[in-house]
Amino acid sequence: MITNASKFLAAGALALGATLASSHAQETVKVGVLHSLSGTMAISETSLRDVLLFTFDEINAKGGVLGKKIEPVVVDGASNWPLFAEKAKQLLEQDKVAVTFGCWTSVSRKSVLPVYEKNNGLLFYPVQYEGEEESQNVFYTAEAVNQQATPAVDYLLEQGYKKFYLLGSDYVYPQTTNLVLLEYLLSKGVPLANIGGGLKEEGGKVISAGKYTPFGHTDYQQIVAEIKQFAAGGGAAVISTLNGDTNVPFFKEYAAAGLTADTCPVVSFSISEDEFRGLPAKQLVGQLGCWTYFQSIESPANKKFIADFQAWLAKSTVSGIVKEGRVTCSPMVLSYDGVYLWKAAVEKAGSFDVDAVRKALQSGLSFDGPGGKVTTQKNMHLTKNVFIGETKADGQFKIIKSFDNVVGEPWLKGKYKK
Amino acid sequence: MIVPTPFRLSLFALLCALFSVSAAAADTPRQIVAKAILTENSAARREVIGTLVGQGDESVAALFTAWREDALFIHSSADGAKTPVQLTGEKDSAGRQNALRVDDGQLLNGPDGKPLRLSASELTVVQHDRMLRLSMKAVIDLLDLAASSPAKRIQAVQTLGFAQDAEKLPALINRLSLEQDAKVKIALREAIALIQLKSADDAVKLAALKELKDLHTLASTDFIKAAQKEAEAAKKPELAEAARIALGAVENHRTAVNFFGTLFRGLSAGSILLVVALGLAITFGLMRVINMAHGEMIAIGAYTTYIVQNVFGSGLALSPFGLSFTIPGMNTTGLAYESYFLFALPLSFLTAAAVGIALERTVIQFLYRRPLESLLATWGVSLVLQQLLKLIFGSNNVQVSSPSYLSGNWTVFDVVFGWNRVFVIGFAVVIVFGIWMILTKTPLGLLMRAVMQNRGMASCMGVRTERVNMMTFGLGSGLAGLAGAFVSQLGNVGPFLGQNYIVDCFMTVVVGGVGNIAGTVISALGIGMADQSLQQILGNPVLGKICVLIAIILFLQWRPAGLFVTRSRSLDE
Repeated sequence: MITNASKFLAAGALALGATLASSHAQETVKVGVLHSLSGTMAISETSLRDVLLFTFDEINAKGGVLGKKIEPVVVDGASNWPLFAEKAKQLLEQDKVAVTFGCWTSVSRKSVLPVYEKNNGLLFYPVQYEGEEESQNVFYTAEAVNQQATPAVDYLLEQGYKKFYLLGSDYVYPQTTNLVLLEYLLSKGVPLANIGGGLKEEGGKVISAGKYTPFGHTDYQQIVAEIKQFAAGGGAAVISTLNGDTNVPFFKEYAAAGLTADTCPVVSFSISEDEFRGLPAKQLVGQLGCWTYFQSIESPANKKFIADFQAWLAKSTVSGIVKEGRVTCSPMVLSYDGVYLWKAAVEKAGSFDVDAVRKALQSGLSFDGPGGKVTTQKNMHLTKNVFIGETKADGQFKIIKSFDNVVGEPWLKGKYKK
Repeated sequence: MIVPTPFRLSLFALLCALFSVSAAAADTPRQIVAKAILTENSAARREVIGTLVGQGDESVAALFTAWREDALFIHSSADGAKTPVQLTGEKDSAGRQNALRVDDGQLLNGPDGKPLRLSASELTVVQHDRMLRLSMKAVIDLLDLAASSPAKRIQAVQTLGFAQDAEKLPALINRLSLEQDAKVKIALREAIALIQLKSADDAVKLAALKELKDLHTLASTDFIKAAQKEAEAAKKPELAEAARIALGAVENHRTAVNFFGTLFRGLSAGSILLVVALGLAITFGLMRVINMAHGEMIAIGAYTTYIVQNVFGSGLALSPFGLSFTIPGMNTTGLAYESYFLFALPLSFLTAAAVGIALERTVIQFLYRRPLESLLATWGVSLVLQQLLKLIFGSNNVQVSSPSYLSGNWTVFDVVFGWNRVFVIGFAVVIVFGIWMILTKTPLGLLMRAVMQNRGMASCMGVRTERVNMMTFGLGSGLAGLAGAFVSQLGNVGPFLGQNYIVDCFMTVVVGGVGNIAGTVISALGIGMADQSLQQILGNPVLGKICVLIAIILFLQWRPAGLFVTRSRSLDE
């Protein structure tokens, strides 16, 4: 009886609190963080956890969302895709989180997708991906192929490059991106003979759009020799979707073969400032990168973001957090933008209900993030700026070209087909 | 009157053809640059820059570089006169520097006749756009034709040739008559022929195709193909046939390049396998200890290289402990820094050997007659070592920079010989020779062989088998450490580095025949060659690897004991 009475009282207090809004600041809303904090992807994904926790603290310090403080529920996907689905289930069914920020690899996103669709959850996905997917339960702050790969190709074409060698790691993102790029290049008038790396049959029918190597591949001798012959006639560039640390043996071999950014530049889609910490910067100078954010962006918003993040890191008590030599990169900023967009959507909807929040998100909300203004679209993607940068010896990018307000477009395969 | 030499004539013709602005020719290159800077209209500005083609001097390249880097300024004096300047010399406390006039390279004087001191903030930066930078490049390309370094000349020649710009032909022909260097000459002949391919005259085209057939350079493939298509479209069978023959010559050359290239790459891949597997061949083959921690010994060697590199450089910081070391006076640069690798080699051997000996004393010595338990125990040790490395150095890969003497290449007839690869082949030869010397010519080798052949008998003869075991295990681990120093030059250095190599190591040793060094050598080279050849033929690294693995499985079905079977008289086998 007593417990029932107290429950009733508490409910009454809650209702009162809701009407009085800000007076009840200790109330919280649970938010999921689903990243690999161990295993091979931990190198990249722990940075996203760090920036998410920083963002939550920043929002909480200003009074939270709808008067509620954000209470992060951090789970570890451990670079193990079935585990990602289990953890997602736990977040949605057990912890009843209002929203989840997480996933890096496409395969982890594909694993949790059915879980989010079944439970009508909401996942914010921040890392460049291959597109060909549009779920009502995922908000893609990530770069779609037309916000990274095709602008980079546009830039190279504008610079007068005529031959392109496609190279990538052997999994879904590079394979799909290269298929799209192949169509895109053909649509731009680049003949099939000038697109290297793929396997072609006698009649010119394409079997594979690029050259693929497994994760952890170390022997790039043959491939670099092939690129050297490919680039012998000048005007050639390499488009690389190599992921992770295979970039090190590739670039070492590339430099040893006498290929440079002057003779045949490489534009990489998976090397950001964060990955740069483990790469031999000296051998990458002058190579190109394409992202929707670079740490070197000269804007007050970006300077403040970097300074605040560093200050937060310095006094952070998160166990095992790396504090030295930290940088910011595009997936980190897109995670940060995602949290603020979710906050704006919740405030617009006046509720944490997923359907209401989705409706608010699809109505076109904007946020001025460190990489410039981002606007949500009806197709659950973002409109944002795209930058092309040249790598410098200190691991930063010098911005050499920018495309403003590129609309995120997930469905590209077949779009450029002639 | 000056007799017009062919060169002067052609240059004159070139200039006239390019630009009708003949008055500009009276100015010095510096004056032309200054004039261009003061020209407001960007098209007019490009035209002025264009007059420099073929007649600029060294100063122009420097000025253009400064221009591209926003280091050229316009100084406006009190009377409104505008002077383009470049700031040079030491900055004083107010950030002021000497100003050099762009038009004559002299110091800019103020109204009082004294040199002016200026700071960048009080001047206007000279703007540039992409089209202008391209015009500058066209000028610089031709300047580099006379550069002192042959490599630079070749690059300039190729840039011009690949562009197939007929206007640059006279400059190239002129250069060919002056050129001494054989390689640059070939590049020039190629460039000239490529430009002539675009000629309207069929006879010139035919001659160009003949020349390209003689040169059969890889770079000309695309251009010959284009010419062939064009000739076929225009129904000129003679030209098409000449193009086909030229293309055939290039393809023959390409086949040869690929053949020798693959041979070399196979040799180097085999050498790496050999270097990483030799240590295992000793511990697994000779001692019958299945050391699953062999990969971690490689990682230890690689991390030792990393530490030595940092000690030579700006110091070492180990993040989890908050420790950082710097040795005063060590903060070296240049060649002194790059010599770190020579010190890292013996040190990585010693470190891994020490860890190996410690491992032998604490774990393996109790498991000599229990191979399965030794497999399990060393696997555990490998996990512990991985986590230990992760704890000390962090889970991110660390950067090991290749010294410059390991990161270049020789290109002989288009076959690229990377120095690091040549070095690893030489190194493998030295190591194999060294092992052979130790095993056959030293007392330790004699004792080792005695213990391996018959432990009990050797012990009876007074050989301290425990000590020999320890030394042998140390030697095997040390070799793994040396391998680690090497692979740090080729790939990543991270806590899980060993995992990438351990399978290859076992594969090599098992195929070679357990307990046989010669077998290991042959199997390493064989696997390396097969891998590279299959990659070349199939054009796919994954398929290549799968084929090699299938071949190995089939081979082991046929010869389960490997290439060479070691026979022993021990009763326990």
